[in-house]
Amino acid sequence: MPQERITTLDVTPLAQPCGCPAQPEISRRSFLKAAGATGIVAGLASEGMFTRLAFGATPYVGDVLVVLSLRGGMDSLQAVVPAAAAQYNHYVTHRPNIAVPQNQLLPLDANFGMHPAMAPLRPFYDAGSLGIVNAVGMAQPNRSHFSAMEEMERAAPGTSVRTGWLDRVLGLRETGSPFQATQLGSNSAASAFLGPAPELAMWNIDGFDLSGAWDAEQEALWDAALRGVHDGAPPVIAAPALTALDALTTASQLREAGYTPANGAAYPDSNLGNALRDVAQLIKADVGLHVAAVDYGDWDMHAGQGDVAGGWMVDHLGEFSSALAAFATDLGNAMGDVTLITLTEFGRRVEENGSGGTDHGFGQAVFLMGDGVNGGQIHGTWPGLAPQNLVDGDLDATTDYRNLLASVLERRCGASAGDVAGIFPGIDNVRPDVVQQRAS
Amino acid sequence: MTTDDGGAGLATAAVSRRNFVRAAAVGSVLAGSGVAAGMFDALPAGAGGSLVATGPDLHLLRRATFGPTEELVKDIRRLGRNRWLDRQLHPSSVNDGFCQDYVADRYPDLDMTLKRAFETLEGSWDLMYALGQATIVREAWSNRQLFEVMVDFWSNHLNITNPHEACWWSRHDYDRTVIRKHALGKFKDMLRASATHPAMMAYLNNAESTKDNPNENYGREILELHSVGVDGGYDEEDMRQSTLVLTGFGFSWDTGEFEYRDWAHYTGPVDVMGWHAANKNEDKGKDVGLAYVNYLAHHPSTAERIARKLCYRFVSDDPPQSLVDALAETYLDHDTAIVPVLEKLFRSKAFDSSVGEKVRRPFEDVAATLRILNIRPDPEGVDGQQGLYWMTEGLGHLPMGWVPPDGYPDTGDPWRSAGLTLSRWNMHVGLAAGWWPANHLKVPNIQKNVLPATLPKTHGALVDAVAKRLVFRTLPAAHRDAVLAFLGVAAATPLDEDDAAVGWRLPYLVALILDTPSHGIR
Repeated sequence: MPQERITTLDVTPLAQPCGCPAQPEISRRSFLKAAGATGIVAGLASEGMFTRLAFGATPYVGDVLVVLSLRGGMDSLQAVVPAAAAQYNHYVTHRPNIAVPQNQLLPLDANFGMHPAMAPLRPFYDAGSLGIVNAVGMAQPNRSHFSAMEEMERAAPGTSVRTGWLDRVLGLRETGSPFQATQLGSNSAASAFLGPAPELAMWNIDGFDLSGAWDAEQEALWDAALRGVHDGAPPVIAAPALTALDALTTASQLREAGYTPANGAAYPDSNLGNALRDVAQLIKADVGLHVAAVDYGDWDMHAGQGDVAGGWMVDHLGEFSSALAAFATDLGNAMGDVTLITLTEFGRRVEENGSGGTDHGFGQAVFLMGDGVNGGQIHGTWPGLAPQNLVDGDLDATTDYRNLLASVLERRCGASAGDVAGIFPGIDNVRPDVVQQRAS
Repeated sequence: MTTDDGGAGLATAAVSRRNFVRAAAVGSVLAGSGVAAGMFDALPAGAGGSLVATGPDLHLLRRATFGPTEELVKDIRRLGRNRWLDRQLHPSSVNDGFCQDYVADRYPDLDMTLKRAFETLEGSWDLMYALGQATIVREAWSNRQLFEVMVDFWSNHLNITNPHEACWWSRHDYDRTVIRKHALGKFKDMLRASATHPAMMAYLNNAESTKDNPNENYGREILELHSVGVDGGYDEEDMRQSTLVLTGFGFSWDTGEFEYRDWAHYTGPVDVMGWHAANKNEDKGKDVGLAYVNYLAHHPSTAERIARKLCYRFVSDDPPQSLVDALAETYLDHDTAIVPVLEKLFRSKAFDSSVGEKVRRPFEDVAATLRILNIRPDPEGVDGQQGLYWMTEGLGHLPMGWVPPDGYPDTGDPWRSAGLTLSRWNMHVGLAAGWWPANHLKVPNIQKNVLPATLPKTHGALVDAVAKRLVFRTLPAAHRDAVLAFLGVAAATPLDEDDAAVGWRLPYLVALILDTPSHGIR
């Protein structure tokens, strides 16, 4: 059965009576939805369907997973800076113009300091709900934005798998709420969602509204009509249409209810701030969100990234930090059921270029937030910035990002070792100790 | 074999056995998995073949234009597909007076020289916004539709985001002297023009790349995006060499024009993917760079990549390799000329049998909706186009507005989005009902526009007539039933001129028909 939770809002019923032949043993909402879309009930031989039904029997118990994609290639060597003498010397030698002065770093441990623009995150690090993993990357360097993003979100190197990793995560669970997998801040879903499991992508909750359906009667008419005219349409058209219809009523209830962030949380007035505020609203309204995805782009700082006094990097790190701090503040104790993880397609070259920027590199730092995070510490093996330690001039990656995600999925999101092996084909058994085992 | 050289003209669009078998296979996938667990990645959009109007004329119009109109259907029937296509491939033979005059009147600064723009604009973004609006006007209302489709194609292939802060004085000139000038010419000329344009030099940071401090942005993207592609056969060392070859290509801070700066150029032997130059003299560095660019334009990997992208644009999200190979060969045989490639593509059997295999992306939906509703540009000023500009930006598909340098995706999957779908439904209602931004455009009376001269006798006949007017066919039975249920009537319910369906509900009826896959598939 679908997950039964005490909800503060009714989730829109997914199924419309479809006049299909009765199939009582599979009369789950997910199936009705599928049948309603095509008007055909036949040939349940699809592996995807069986997977879903087989695993869907158990309600999801786990954290809401928030994936924040820092698109463009974040220069995390400016965010988490090696502060101890020898490593700092390498750093400043490579980056004479953009290096953060040693005495302005916010100390994190004996070896690393944080960029001062990230001060809003410092209390969360100190409280143990923000963790950092250094030198993370894919198994092979990939310095092309587009192919690196695609490859990272496919997360199945050396295979012909075409779906995204989040789609495969969702494929383990029964389709429940239309908000189960939601991208906020964009009308287009990340390629990590590519595949059969439906996802919802929207700019924001406020704008998610159907023109012309001005009252409940009109809403019902449009709903039935739009479902009807997508009968038998190719899934590339029908799937998002049905997801939209499923989500409309809930969105309008959320709008009417309004939203005020708790605990005095102050989100920056920006796309990132708005998107994270909407994620927090969805979590608190308990609409069945399992996975949220948010993008924060414009990290491709080939030129003019500025120095510690100001500029592109300072602005970006500042917005990033204040938005994350507001999100965690707003959710308060609910962060016990949330794990947020950042990913970027690659780190940047250790040496600055001639334009006051940095070119595409390899190893990156990953940030994890949540009460289940082993925070207040820096994880990962630091490969070093000495010339012999670099890979084509880049920081090496000593932790495969898929192992990090596997730890989060197994310990926080109810996935078994077998599930993880299916999500990340060919993955080894390394599970970095970045999060605690969830109690239940 | 799925292609022929079509010397005898366009192959017929009779349903081939192969096509039928394929459609049947698609049906079984649909039946097996439905939407929620669809075998989505294995599904060609061929399932849409049964939902769009049949016939080769409409197939060609859906693919080669931003949307069929009643007038275009008359044209292609009068001229025949061959002559219609020939004229579109030679756009100077198509009268486009209205659109040219309109753009010249509303956006007169678009022909400003680089130098003058650099000297007078003082960092203003006005000209970039004007270009964005003019592009919408041309795509929606030019008679040279295939030319505008190709402008859009190349604007994405050699993407420079518009607007972009580094291109305030140059983006309009890039559109005119790089993209539009060569859109139906030779790719080698377009690639060379882009490599010697200040907009590209600024956008991808090559203007800052010097022998001592190379910036790899352009050196990488000219390989990965503009020519051979990420799997085209180069490695990281090739990429670094590519960057060095192009050091010195930049622009002048005095005039804003392209400038080769010999002091910045790396000298010494350079090798990229088997191309080699001694590159001894910095004063000859521009010639070395241009020889390299020319080499890239003629590389077999470039030919294959452009051929495949053209197939994504015009044929299918999963085009047959034999067609890609045939087009790549044509490209190389004709010294990178595009028209022979397009002739081959549109006259291939693979094209004929691809009915229903493409879906409209959001802007293509906007343009097709404007066109089928006979909506015309702002008769007073530019507010209407400005509204379309913001509306299209909200739909995530502003022409030239893609932010990363790889251009908008041209296959259906990446556009699969509930939010976009909802926005498109709202767009249909807004344009049909004459709400913003249509209130600033020239919108014909909806009754005169979509109803037949003689009022149909029943509601069923009304739905059929409006569907034929908007999607050139009656709706499949299930969809027709859904539309009638929306109107709260049966097919046989008599229609009177006072009925809501031809009164206040008519715009909603129109919008609902535009919401059907018969409009969403191209």
